[in-house]
Amino acid sequence: MRTYEVLFILSPQVPEEEATALVAEFKKVGESTGAKLSHEDAWGRRRLAYPIQKFNEGIYHLFVFESDGSLAELDRRMKNSDRILRHMIVRTDLDHKRAEKLAKRNPKKERVRPAPAFTPSEPVSEMPSGETVPAE
Amino acid sequence: MAMQTRGPRSGGPGGAGPQGGKKKFFYRRKRVCKFCVEKLEYIDYKDVKMLQQFIPERGKILPRRISGTCALHQRKLQNAIKRARIAALLPFATD
Repeated sequence: MRTYEVLFILSPQVPEEEATALVAEFKKVGESTGAKLSHEDAWGRRRLAYPIQKFNEGIYHLFVFESDGSLAELDRRMKNSDRILRHMIVRTDLDHKRAEKLAKRNPKKERVRPAPAFTPSEPVSEMPSGETVPAE
Repeated sequence: MAMQTRGPRSGGPGGAGPQGGKKKFFYRRKRVCKFCVEKLEYIDYKDVKMLQQFIPERGKILPRRISGTCALHQRKLQNAIKRARIAALLPFATD
């Protein structure tokens, strides 16, 4: 099973109803190829870091698919759609797996730094060496 | 004889460093890899706030020698930044 993240940017000119329809359509395209949608996130309108097709903002949407096959069909559709300014499909399961492995190999060991906070007000040598601190 | 002629040369100005005399102290602060310390193994391209720490004004990727990131994480960071750029989350160049 592979995990794919599909991030795409819709043109800001697309009205809201059409945007939701498009999102639903792309979801269907993805699922028709045997992929399972495991997560979905609508980021909404966002400023672009640089203009794309002379637009300064776009409607971001993210799908996370679990699939055994490829998302070539979805990729092709997105490429052809003129409503989409940009899309990107990234496979993430390998990276996540590797990250997990690394996290397991070096587990959260807190780095123990010599704590400088505790400084006894009296020098230790003042204490008589023969006497120990009373236990009670 | 040969040994004696070589002797003064090794002790001469060439051996002790070009300037000699004054030692310059460079203040070098301890740099540690942020990702190693915080145990962030997966660097997400969508986490713009985090990535922006490694993007100076010009929009370039901060080099390892400055940020102190370890080689492994720098490579992953680099990939994440490049992905974020494609998604127009980060600029390719500003100015």
